[in-house]
Amino acid sequence: MNLAARQPVLLVAVPLVFAATCPLWGMWKRRICFYWALGGMSVTAFLAWSLIGKVSQKAPLTYNVSGWRPPWGIQIRIDTVGLLLACTITAMSILLLLYSYRYVEKEIPTQRIVYYYTLLLLIFTAMLGCSVTGDLFNFFVFMEIFSITSYALVAISGERRAIRAALKYLLMGATSSLTVLLAISFLYSVTGSLNMVDIGQVLERMGRTSSPYLPVAAAAMIFFIAGFCVKAAVFPVHVWLPEAHSIAPSPVSALLSALVIKMGVLGIIRTLFTVYGRGFSSFSEVWGALATVLSWAAALSIPVAAIMAIMQTDLKVMIAYSSVVHVGYIVLGISVLSVQGFAGGLFNIVAHAMGKGCFFLVAGIIIYKHGFRRIDDLKGLGRSMPVTAGAFAIASLSIVGLPPSAGFIAKWNILYGCLQQSQYIQVVLALFGSMLSAVYCFKVVYYMFFTGSNVGAKMDEGPMTMLIPVTLLAAGTVFFGIFSALLMPTLSNAARVLLAR
Amino acid sequence: MGKVTSSVLPSIIVFTPWLTLLVAALWARSRPRTSRGLYTAITVATGLLILPMYGIALDGGVVRQHLVRVVPGIDLAFRIDTVGFYFGLLLAVLWIAAGVYSLGYIHERHTRYYCFLALNLSFCLGVAFSANMFTLFIFYELMSLATYPLIIHEETALARRAGLKYLIYSISAGAVILAAVLMQYFYGDTLSFLGHGTLSLAKVSKPVLLTIFSVYMLGFGVKACIMPLHGWVPDAHPAAPAPASALLSGVLLKVGAFGIIRVLYDVFGIKLLRELGVGLPMLYVASFTIIVASLFAIPQTDLKRRLAYSSVAQVSYIILGLFLLSPDGAVGGLLQIAHHAFMKGTLFLCAGIIIHETGKRDIADMEGVGSKLPLTMMAFSIAALAMMGTPATCGFITKWELGLGAIQAHRGYFIVVLLISALLNAVYYLPIVYLAFFKSKETIKFSKRETRPSMLIPTLVCGVMVIVLGIFVTVPGLPYSLVKVVVNAVF
Repeated sequence: MNLAARQPVLLVAVPLVFAATCPLWGMWKRRICFYWALGGMSVTAFLAWSLIGKVSQKAPLTYNVSGWRPPWGIQIRIDTVGLLLACTITAMSILLLLYSYRYVEKEIPTQRIVYYYTLLLLIFTAMLGCSVTGDLFNFFVFMEIFSITSYALVAISGERRAIRAALKYLLMGATSSLTVLLAISFLYSVTGSLNMVDIGQVLERMGRTSSPYLPVAAAAMIFFIAGFCVKAAVFPVHVWLPEAHSIAPSPVSALLSALVIKMGVLGIIRTLFTVYGRGFSSFSEVWGALATVLSWAAALSIPVAAIMAIMQTDLKVMIAYSSVVHVGYIVLGISVLSVQGFAGGLFNIVAHAMGKGCFFLVAGIIIYKHGFRRIDDLKGLGRSMPVTAGAFAIASLSIVGLPPSAGFIAKWNILYGCLQQSQYIQVVLALFGSMLSAVYCFKVVYYMFFTGSNVGAKMDEGPMTMLIPVTLLAAGTVFFGIFSALLMPTLSNAARVLLAR
Repeated sequence: MGKVTSSVLPSIIVFTPWLTLLVAALWARSRPRTSRGLYTAITVATGLLILPMYGIALDGGVVRQHLVRVVPGIDLAFRIDTVGFYFGLLLAVLWIAAGVYSLGYIHERHTRYYCFLALNLSFCLGVAFSANMFTLFIFYELMSLATYPLIIHEETALARRAGLKYLIYSISAGAVILAAVLMQYFYGDTLSFLGHGTLSLAKVSKPVLLTIFSVYMLGFGVKACIMPLHGWVPDAHPAAPAPASALLSGVLLKVGAFGIIRVLYDVFGIKLLRELGVGLPMLYVASFTIIVASLFAIPQTDLKRRLAYSSVAQVSYIILGLFLLSPDGAVGGLLQIAHHAFMKGTLFLCAGIIIHETGKRDIADMEGVGSKLPLTMMAFSIAALAMMGTPATCGFITKWELGLGAIQAHRGYFIVVLLISALLNAVYYLPIVYLAFFKSKETIKFSKRETRPSMLIPTLVCGVMVIVLGIFVTVPGLPYSLVKVVVNAVF
């Protein structure tokens, strides 16, 4: 059996097998689950990271599951965007698992720890599946898996308000999933295909012959975007996010904010660019209008969500609103339709994953050590927890978008993209939003470092397994800010291909 | 044009101050006194590292270093040209003075204070040595943030409010500068400093150029405290500890002016600025700032607040000189950067000694301070006279050059602004000197320990520099020689 050729599918299969077998270990000894999950994700990470340099947007790595060729069978199709997400997911997964080791012991009922690791493995599997699949229905299936898993993860503590938040999340999430399913069935009915690239080609043919079914495809496009926007928490439909992301256990919050909402963004990229492409004669106007609406919603969301974040008193709710701000940046970059803006949007997926992951994990350490959730309670934490608070301060540079952090590079490119398309109002909104972001981020930094102490000045840091992920993420934001050239040219190439159609 | 050399020296200079963090991490708790000595040694070492480039700078040469490509077309890179060297050297000298002074003045939260002092030096040097607007912007933003802990060092309610105001001003300014940099890159295709303007009317339309220019002025104007963007200055300066105020006033405000210099000489270029006709409006803004800020200084009762308003006025001398767009005006403006740094440095360091030794901040309480602190008040008087432009002090040289520049630019009437300013300076500085020396009932006593030597020596050195710079003007190595090279290259 040639393993190397099957690497694309192994990327999904390996974590799935580990997820399925995780409860078995749990029946014997609970502690093993952690090592099992960590081992599984390490193997997966190796599989994903070893693909770096082997794929490009133009020449993706494909694998036909069970040998069925597309458009009949499911095709795994790893392009730059997919690999970018796969690498981010696997890298984050290891850090999150490491972090969870001590965290879950304290914050989650003991009997649920096995479930916790199983669900984590499952959600990583599903997200990897979404990133690498080339099949629209397959994408939907994986999306359902990660959605349902995340409802469960939000509610895992079993507290009343956690269950309520999960329920709200479920209602919005299920509706959006149905919308996407509806869109897929619309498209299937008129194109007879589920393979994304294939649908794209069929639609192009239909456009050329001005097929009477084109309005159905156009309606499907609107449904797709509506559905994925909910998943990505784009501005007017973000209402589920602050509650769900803040009440979940902190590593889960980090996971949801750093990775899960990016799957909605991925959905937007896949449908808007891979499936529909640009300029199918008769409904290029609908397509263009949709992109414009998206860019406006995204640009507006930046200051609005930032103001919401400023008004919060709970640290995690504040961080959650900040995620809406950054989804705004990402979607703005993507929908402004310039290569540099698109690349900046993709870059912000990584930058935000690191920055926001770090934020939530820091909040988790504070909850773990002191049980503080209110921002006012953080007074003087910088003295007793210098590493934790320092990591927060560095990550906040990236979240605000100040140099020399990754967030700045992302913002620079996105804004430059907006300028290229003469979207001046978007530039002003985004800049204004980043000024407001400074307010909520630096408020926390201020409380931590520049006020009298609430907890005493004695060193009282969290455990090593929690500090290492936090420090690495904070360092990552600076590293990718300075060495953004490692990533940007590749992303620009990908953006060029996606926008070229 | 001198020769271009490649070297790793720029980044070594810029990152040497970071050693402070290492020292702090290793010994701040176990050996506080040794580590404080080392902090100062690191600052001195940074200054010594800058000196070897003296020869190159005087020839108009350039030292380049490419660090890393950030985005295609945009690099992080250093480039030390004459004006950068001039500013960098000034930074180092004042930092050494402030560092030594701090040994005596700062009594609490040493680690945080010295670390951010060092980071600030590093970032300011980064600004001075930037090879393009992108690098400059990065260091400028970092510098803005790193100043905050210095301003609120004393953690009083007043300092916190000043710090908040400072942050709001500088973060907004940062966003504005970012917009300007984006526009410059979008329309001008390059952000590099090449020693001449990179924008031109041939490529970009006039309204766009005017927009870029005004957005830049709006952004850098906050740090250079051009009225009405000066609001944070009179709060931040009194709140910060004296050595930090001396640096704030002495050089950190000039970082904003330095940004404007880059915009003038390396983004637009003199020729384009003349074509755009932005010189005269900016001259009016600068004159307005000079006179109004001086008027605001008069009713202030807090010593440091009065000094702060005086800084607002004096920094606009730089702006005035630069926008005369004539060689002598530029010489005056550029000289003012160094000359004002020493004058205001002296004044703030003296104010620090007064506050430290007598606890008096109110000018009305200064009666007889001169008899207790004769050396300090002597230095204060010298700097105050220099501020008024008395001959044989460095303040006179600046005013002289600015006046020549105004005539050269056929705008001789701006000399009136200088004269009014000198008069107003006399109105708000001389009463302090008068109160200190002549309203005293005691006789002057040169006590053995007027104050700690670590505070007195830097103050006196700065005071002596005020006279040295006013008499030995053309000695090579002093600001004038370097400024001449810069101006000859530009005009």
